[in-house]
Amino acid sequence: MESRNRLLLLTAVCCATLMLSGCASFRWPWGKEKVEEQQTDTEAAEEEAEEQDVSPPRVIEPNVTRRKIKTPRIDNENWEVGAGLGFLSIEDFGTSSTYAAQLSYHVTEDFFFRLDAGQSTAGETSFETLGGDIELLTGDERRFTYYSLSLGYNFLPGEVYLGRNLAMNSSFYLLGGIGSVDFAGDDRLTINLGAGYRVLPTDWLAISIGVQDRVFDSDLLGETKVTNNIEMLLSATVFF
Amino acid sequence: MEPSITTTRSRRLRRTSLALAFVFACSLSVTALAKQTEEEKAAKAAAAQEKLLQVFVSEPYLELAIGPGRGYAVFHVVEREQSVDVLFRRTDWFKVRTEQGVEGWARARDMRRTKLADGSPFVFNLGDRAGFTTHDWEIGIGGGDYGGANLIAAYGSYSLTDNMKIDLSLSQFLGNSSNGWKAEIGLQHVLFPEWRFSPFLTLGTGYVETSPRATIVLPLDRADQTAYAGAGARFYLTRRFFLRADYRWHTVFTSRDDNEELEEWKVVIACFF
Repeated sequence: MESRNRLLLLTAVCCATLMLSGCASFRWPWGKEKVEEQQTDTEAAEEEAEEQDVSPPRVIEPNVTRRKIKTPRIDNENWEVGAGLGFLSIEDFGTSSTYAAQLSYHVTEDFFFRLDAGQSTAGETSFETLGGDIELLTGDERRFTYYSLSLGYNFLPGEVYLGRNLAMNSSFYLLGGIGSVDFAGDDRLTINLGAGYRVLPTDWLAISIGVQDRVFDSDLLGETKVTNNIEMLLSATVFF
Repeated sequence: MEPSITTTRSRRLRRTSLALAFVFACSLSVTALAKQTEEEKAAKAAAAQEKLLQVFVSEPYLELAIGPGRGYAVFHVVEREQSVDVLFRRTDWFKVRTEQGVEGWARARDMRRTKLADGSPFVFNLGDRAGFTTHDWEIGIGGGDYGGANLIAAYGSYSLTDNMKIDLSLSQFLGNSSNGWKAEIGLQHVLFPEWRFSPFLTLGTGYVETSPRATIVLPLDRADQTAYAGAGARFYLTRRFFLRADYRWHTVFTSRDDNEELEEWKVVIACFF
């Protein structure tokens, strides 16, 4: 009984599937009319639209909101400030210790402007040393105060390795500029030329050793002559 | 004996449980603290992260060098669609950090081809001709002649517009008869800022301090007010550099009967940023 029922049911399902699946594809007489009506309707609508020429374009508004990005200000670290200690050899007046302040502005990776200002105290000339009580200059006049405005050029960039795990950026630089020196009670125009070597243990700290020749005309010992005053400075500077 | 044993046990148990509770409480509080500190750290890191600009590599790759300069070696490459955080900028190089935490220097030219998170290009001031026309600041150093004396000069200026700038100059003059300092403030009107060779006019006032040289017998040091009018020209060299040459006609308002009139010319090498 059960098997017969199942057979009947299956047959019914098969017949229904066969019959119903093709329903839509059959062109029933009542359905045809409807389709034709629909077609005529759409054609009429199109003709109307063409006649009226008011066919508003369908604008699809995307449901996407553009993200607004806050762009934080990028820190520029082109200025470099610091101080140094070293020696200054003042022509005819021996070598003395000197200290100086430095301010630089890095314009490009290659070029920078630099302001140097320093002070030293001149020693005695050999004439004074041999002559006993003779003093060419007073205490204040022996003070050698200078500044210079220079343009610098970085070259031979590289890396220095200290041991296995420490590498630091380094570069050489050349400097040239003008300035003045207040020495022996008078201000004189100087021309400075120099070179140095800079190592950067971190991005913000630079240790450099530099040599500069400050050249000026001097008439202290009689006739006017060009004097070369060589300065060696070890300085630490920070970028900001 | 038994009750006493029980008492001892219960005491022991109580002590042990108390100790355990204490340890548990301690561990809980420590964990909570640790959690808190971790959260704080995360918050701090997030705050720090927020302050940094994130850009996405849109070219096939972005090269990172060990230092901010052409000669420094390239040690890392960031792939397309990866992001970097911009830490800071030095000249035309950006210090960046990758998603993996690798830090290196990317050149500005390459950074111009990266994109922000919304897909817009990363735009920033690049030192070029356009920058020469429009910029905020300029500084320069140079030399010249001031009434027959050698002149050492430094100046800085701030742009109010592309045409109009406020000039501040400090200079020292070293002559045969006298030395001195002067500080001046004025306006500079650049006639055609977009031209490579561009003329300008200046007008300003200042303060001059003159002291006679040791070898010449003259009255005491004096300080006077001055006014100047002048003209000059600027010439764009390359990158951020330009030359500026100008002539100024000064009137020094002396305490004597007559005002002093002086001519000044100077050539300055300057940069803009």
